[in-house]
Amino acid sequence: MNEINNIKINNDEIQSVFPRVAETIADAIGCEVEKVKLNASLIDNLGAESIDFVDIIFRLQRLFKVKIPRGKIVEEARGSLSETEFEKAGVVSDAGVSRLRDYLSEVPPDRFKSPLNVADIPRLFTVETFCKLVIRQQRATPTADVSTPA
Amino acid sequence: MNAPTLTDAGMAGRVALVTGGSRGIGRAIVETLAAVGMTVAFTYRENAAAAAEVIAACERGEGRGKRGEGRGDTSLSPHTPHLKPHIFAEALDVRDSAACGAFVEKVVERTESIDLLVNNAGVIRDNTLGLLEDEDVRVVMETNVTGTFNMTRAVAPYMISARQGKIINVTSVSGEKGGRGQTNYAASKGALNAFTRSLAVELAPRGITVNAVAPGVIDTELSRAVREQAGDQALSRILLRRYGRPEEVAHAVWFLASRFADYITGEILHVDGGFKME
Repeated sequence: MNEINNIKINNDEIQSVFPRVAETIADAIGCEVEKVKLNASLIDNLGAESIDFVDIIFRLQRLFKVKIPRGKIVEEARGSLSETEFEKAGVVSDAGVSRLRDYLSEVPPDRFKSPLNVADIPRLFTVETFCKLVIRQQRATPTADVSTPA
Repeated sequence: MNAPTLTDAGMAGRVALVTGGSRGIGRAIVETLAAVGMTVAFTYRENAAAAAEVIAACERGEGRGKRGEGRGDTSLSPHTPHLKPHIFAEALDVRDSAACGAFVEKVVERTESIDLLVNNAGVIRDNTLGLLEDEDVRVVMETNVTGTFNMTRAVAPYMISARQGKIINVTSVSGEKGGRGQTNYAASKGALNAFTRSLAVELAPRGITVNAVAPGVIDTELSRAVREQAGDQALSRILLRRYGRPEEVAHAVWFLASRFADYITGEILHVDGGFKME
């Protein structure tokens, strides 16, 4: 894991991006913004489908002027683990689950099912996951829009 | 019920991206879309002179009908020499995923949207199985299949976010009907037909249609070797007893890109003069 991602993200930072992230997610999924709580699971609580993730990431990139490469969340969660150390035959290893728990600290521990399939990782993502993703990419992108609307 | 208006295909002012637009079928597609008033960004592999000729022909309104008035400079960058209103081109290898992404970003910076993607870029390296080199297989699969993935993945997020768009893949009759010496090409085009049907399922919830046009033997430089080798035997397999013209394929693309095809998705439209199974 690189230095940027080891720096702790505090609650103020999350709150500063949350309204715009929530609005983006609501627009992409087509739900009321009031339903987009910080701890809501995108798939289980908001009914997002995989195609919605493409839309959400696309909109967040344009809104915050950051680059979010494909597979960024899993890649960062995996950190220094090799792909084979992280997962075998589509199932996340114990070491991989440990990294995910650490990286996705906003996700309640009981939501990490065992065994955890790689394909089910997006099921863990909450609205806060995307707030943190934006903040990390803002730190990595000098030209990112870090303004806080009044 | 209102009387149908069949003169407005709903394409004028919209934006198309066409891969492999400098020659043959691709050129006819670019010229046809430009003729109905679309802004067209197209890619070409390396023949800058041919690309410039396409742009010039579109500007003159030659061949495929009259175009509307220009809307100023739509240049992609100061380094791109082929810049005219409504139409621009850039040298690009569709096998390069990053280059596809960068090109799409440049197009959208200028046009704000992409309404139509035509995946036309393709290569042929015909030979019987025993004589095919590894490179013949690799280049055909990577250009025809991976290249289509690359450009589609670059464009799709814009369409998904806009909740509208049309994607048209140019495949081939060989994707469904056997042809000697075309295992690599046929496999790539068959893959694109399957790609078309699956992507149609994925993108339908966002109002995006995905179709394919499957040309038969068309009178182009690309197919010259096939036509010369097959001679009269090839013609005898075509019910209409002639080779197709590039613009006849372009007209099918135009139809699928028009509002008249809004309710068509996941289809493979054959433009092959009635090519017979052997």
